[in-house]
Amino acid sequence: MNFAGSNTKSRRITRGLLIAFMSVIAFVELFPLIWLVDFSLAKSGDLFASNILIAPNPPQWQNYYTAFVDGKVLHFLFNSITVNTITVIATILISLMVAYACTRMKWKLNRTVMNILLLGMMIPIHATLLPNFLIYNKVGMVDSIFALLVPYIAFSLPQGIFIMASFLESVPRALEESALIDGCGVYRIIFKIVLPITKPSIVTIAIMTFLNNWNEFVMAMTYLTSDKWRTLPFSVLQFQGQYASNYAVQFAVMALTAFPALIVYILLNEQITKGIVVGAVKG
Amino acid sequence: MESPLPFDKGRDIILNKVYSNKWVILSLVTPAVILFISAIFAPICLSAYFGMTQYSGMGTPVFIGLENFRQLLFHDEIFWRSLGNAALLGFCFVCIQHPVCMIFAVLVDKVSGKLEKFFRAAYFIPNVISVAVIASMWVFIYNPDFGLLNSALRALGLGSAQQEWLGNPDMAIWSVIIVLVWHGFGWGLLIYYAGIKGIDTQLYEAAAIDGATGTQSFFRITLPMMRPVIRVNVTLAIISALKQMETVYLLTNGGPGNKTQFLANYLYQKAFSSYEYGYGNAISVLFVIVCMAATVLLNKVFKTKAEL
Repeated sequence: MNFAGSNTKSRRITRGLLIAFMSVIAFVELFPLIWLVDFSLAKSGDLFASNILIAPNPPQWQNYYTAFVDGKVLHFLFNSITVNTITVIATILISLMVAYACTRMKWKLNRTVMNILLLGMMIPIHATLLPNFLIYNKVGMVDSIFALLVPYIAFSLPQGIFIMASFLESVPRALEESALIDGCGVYRIIFKIVLPITKPSIVTIAIMTFLNNWNEFVMAMTYLTSDKWRTLPFSVLQFQGQYASNYAVQFAVMALTAFPALIVYILLNEQITKGIVVGAVKG
Repeated sequence: MESPLPFDKGRDIILNKVYSNKWVILSLVTPAVILFISAIFAPICLSAYFGMTQYSGMGTPVFIGLENFRQLLFHDEIFWRSLGNAALLGFCFVCIQHPVCMIFAVLVDKVSGKLEKFFRAAYFIPNVISVAVIASMWVFIYNPDFGLLNSALRALGLGSAQQEWLGNPDMAIWSVIIVLVWHGFGWGLLIYYAGIKGIDTQLYEAAAIDGATGTQSFFRITLPMMRPVIRVNVTLAIISALKQMETVYLLTNGGPGNKTQFLANYLYQKAFSSYEYGYGNAISVLFVIVCMAATVLLNKVFKTKAEL
């Protein structure tokens, strides 16, 4: 949005003011996080000194060490990575299968099934917490990895199917049809020919599924009763009991928990933004 | 795609046969259907059953028909307050958060160059961080003794404006809303930003040639072209206001005195804290109905406007 006719100097001043204003707002918006990291390196008592920010001297790195060890960060992080990787892969594969069946295969129910599966997007997750807990209890699934995988994948599917189906509808069938004529089976077609073509939407689905499930904790809180499969957000939730009065260490745990997602976001910023834009605007 | 040419008929017959293979279709669709039924559909039906019982989670459930629902709809002020809180939150999202998001989407687009990417990323950072961290952090910010907010007020000489942000029954809901509006800023901005990027720049150039100012361009070109995006974003905001749970749970757990209660948190509390599992399920069922009704209603409202 550039406007013809304004002279260079006033344009530069305007731009300078714009950048200054936006920087101030960004600083204000991110200030809580800055405050968090600042005091995570302080001694717990420093918090009561009623300064807004302090320069910790010396910075108490051992807060992070305590947080890492006693917050079981590594264990919870490993669980998060495991659960999320399986969820993303399963969501992509199943979405591809269903989207292909509903957009390419000829059968009477293809629209109906698609619509019912998409209906899942309207159903609030928390409404399934109570009955699922009872079901998993009866089946002995509570506290297992499946207690997370089944609901995570199930709730990621409607969005995944929608994204994949939208994409597939715009892909020409010529390649698949010639392969079919040559006697290739449908499954081979899906995984050898269609899969590579749908890479952009696979990336989108992967990002959306990851974002939705990495920070999820209510289902994990309800369906898991021990630390065995608990995920990263629990580093924060569990920690409060033991170190309730050592605020600096609690801040360190929070910073550590936020760290992985932040790193991934900074590294993959472009793809993530593109993925969200595609996923959100289409939805 | 049926072909009229005779030598293609053979090809079409083969394609038709393969595309209609019942076993392949079944095997492709079955995993999704099984997951969907077991994790989403069956639990909702089960919820409807348990909603009609009195059950503490232990022992056997006692069937009491629609008693829970009658209690909820006609005698439970917390249920209605939850809906009211959701409406208030939705209002704040649409009338406070979204205009700010829109303005900043325009500003980020206007900055252009490398700074555009920088600001876009910076504004979105709170959204990649887990709600567990965000909410726990805000509990500390709101702490009346050493929290950031009261400290900042003292530093600015406004010590008398200090509050018990989460403890004061009249203040609490606003404290919760502030956190949610702050947290959702990045998403709203990104969606409006995507919409702005989709507008043809030639429209602005033509307007500039005709002598339009920035403000005029914004109100006459940007806003009207953004109507579908605004519609999506507003729908998402209102539905998300209804579905709030995690942030409320960690900030106030509905308190003090159920003043900040939301439906999803309420049902959780009833089932797992009060052991009123049947009642919790009844709330669950009404919750699903409200969400679906809201989605359908919002779609209808916006469709009418678009078709006019």
